[in-house]
Amino acid sequence: MIAWFIDGPFWYFSFTVFLVASVWKLVAIIARGRPRNLAKPRKTPGGGALATIFRRFVPYPEFRKASRVQFRAGYLFHLGLLALLFFAAPHVEFISRRITGFSWPAMPHWAFIFTGELALGGLLFLIVYRLMNPVTRYLSSWGDHFSSWLVFLVMLTGCLALLRSHESLRLVHLFLAELLLLWFPFGSLVHAITFPLSRGFTGAVYHRKGVNL
Amino acid sequence: MAVNMEVFHQFLGQIAQLGARAKPARLSDQERVQQAKSVLREGLRAEQAGDLESCMHCGLCAEACHFRVGTDNPRYTPAAKFQLARRVYRREVGPFRWLYRLATREITVQDLLDAQELVFDSCTTCGRCTLICPMGINIAGLVTLTRHALASAGLIPDDLAAVEQEQGENGTVFGAGPEHLEQALEQLRSQGIEAPLDKPQAEVMVLTSVVDLLLFNDQLASTVRLLNKLGLDWTFRSNAFEGANFGYLAGCGEVQKKATLRVIEEAVSIGAKAVIVPECGHAYPALRWEGANVYGKPLPFDVYAISEFIGLMLREGRLQLPGALEGEVVTYHDPCKVGRHSGVFQEPREVLQALGAELHEMPSHALTNWCCGGGAGLFVINSTAPLRRAAFEIKKREVEQTGAAKVVMACGSCRLNFIKGQEDTGMAGEIVSLVALVGEHLETPDPDRGIPEKTTE
Repeated sequence: MIAWFIDGPFWYFSFTVFLVASVWKLVAIIARGRPRNLAKPRKTPGGGALATIFRRFVPYPEFRKASRVQFRAGYLFHLGLLALLFFAAPHVEFISRRITGFSWPAMPHWAFIFTGELALGGLLFLIVYRLMNPVTRYLSSWGDHFSSWLVFLVMLTGCLALLRSHESLRLVHLFLAELLLLWFPFGSLVHAITFPLSRGFTGAVYHRKGVNL
Repeated sequence: MAVNMEVFHQFLGQIAQLGARAKPARLSDQERVQQAKSVLREGLRAEQAGDLESCMHCGLCAEACHFRVGTDNPRYTPAAKFQLARRVYRREVGPFRWLYRLATREITVQDLLDAQELVFDSCTTCGRCTLICPMGINIAGLVTLTRHALASAGLIPDDLAAVEQEQGENGTVFGAGPEHLEQALEQLRSQGIEAPLDKPQAEVMVLTSVVDLLLFNDQLASTVRLLNKLGLDWTFRSNAFEGANFGYLAGCGEVQKKATLRVIEEAVSIGAKAVIVPECGHAYPALRWEGANVYGKPLPFDVYAISEFIGLMLREGRLQLPGALEGEVVTYHDPCKVGRHSGVFQEPREVLQALGAELHEMPSHALTNWCCGGGAGLFVINSTAPLRRAAFEIKKREVEQTGAAKVVMACGSCRLNFIKGQEDTGMAGEIVSLVALVGEHLETPDPDRGIPEKTTE
């Protein structure tokens, strides 16, 4: 019964909420519009928007020392998570069966393990950093901690479910992933889809003034 | 030219008494909250919404903020400065506001009071935090919006409010009216320097500032001499000479508009093709980037910061500067509002190169320069003195690392803060205005023609 619920209705519900709410959020942000800017521009805003979206993946040289720990751990986690999500064999099978209808090559098992460990290591570091660093401790809300720990639990149960020896481990992993999908549009995890907007708008504003961000 | 330190301290004395002059806003707590929320609701557009949704409290912005780094106090982390805006966005504006109202508490007047120190006292809206933010959040923009919200709630810090109110009511700043401009120009005329005032038509209208009239006379004199040397058809106008815009600084849209329109309408009335803004950080973006939006249509004239203009004249070959500095080691402090916020980086450096200076850049310069801590009106907010001093230690280290004999800048606000900072911290080096430096070396020394080594008193 529980397995049927997690594999069936709860999956459809959580994925639908994830999709609808995420799209709703993006549309709602864009629909707020921007006031007309009548000042004579130095450069076209559009070019700046695009450039900043990509340039901001690498920190400025002056900030590399101050940001290296978070950037390194952050990239380990994010890139590892992306690789796991879309190229781990169980995920490829799940996504192709439930969503896309088509499949693609998965990464070899050893790469799956290696990537998982790196991603989990990066995330653990960031969780500890958020708890220990005075600035992030001051800034963080309950929502930030909930997001971090939920992602961690999803990844941990995913590692445990790798063994595939117990169906219940797979179900716990799937259930937590479905909770994550439900939570995604409403917490700070939504930065994963809104970052092109924040980078792009700021890049456009500054580029208009002749500043390449 | 040395600054008259007696006058400087008199100016500080005037600032110390500002708070008593402010007229408090007569609003109930509920009205303050409603006003602030109303301004935020209206101002939270797509750009701000995208920013507020993207912040994941990574704390990296803390590493770029001179106030946070200078004090090591997490309270001054830039991301903390827009939390009021974020709460209003989530509760009142965002797509799931009906849900967030269940999980976030209503805004209270205490929230506004808590935000006051964050967005006024401990933020110069320098924008350096935006450079390090992985999400590219325009934090300075959110802080500026919050300033507007607090201003509408009658919560501008008293000392800043006093100056803003004076400019709104009388059109003057620190009591500097047309008679002070006339007096300053008469002094130049007594030295044989032509200083046009109130020409009915002119191609170039020039602004100055109360600080130049009362304290930084070298900046005013050099500007006048430079424009005369260029042979431009230019004038000051006694009805609109003040470049500073305390409505812009305080977040008071009404006074900002009044001060800006005064300049624009005057420039239009004399048929000006260009308006030159003095060495005053915020004056440039207030007119260059906000002027047209206040006017309601594109400006019919170009706007230049004086540092930008000198560089332009050099590029066009209309100005030659003797390499009089002969390899003297200088460094250049980029004013945030003219540099990072407006793209004027190369022109001042070309001016220094033309003057023959050997430019040693600070470790963080141009786009990534550290703010001196005195901008956005902070120099007139008395309670900010300890924060400014803490922040200035960073600038002092950067300047001293260059080994420069002179630190050159093109902003009167920065110059005020540097002078105070040097007094407080013992920073080495001479603090120099870019336009004053140009004015001192406009002519190649030629004793046979009676041109001494320095061409200003």
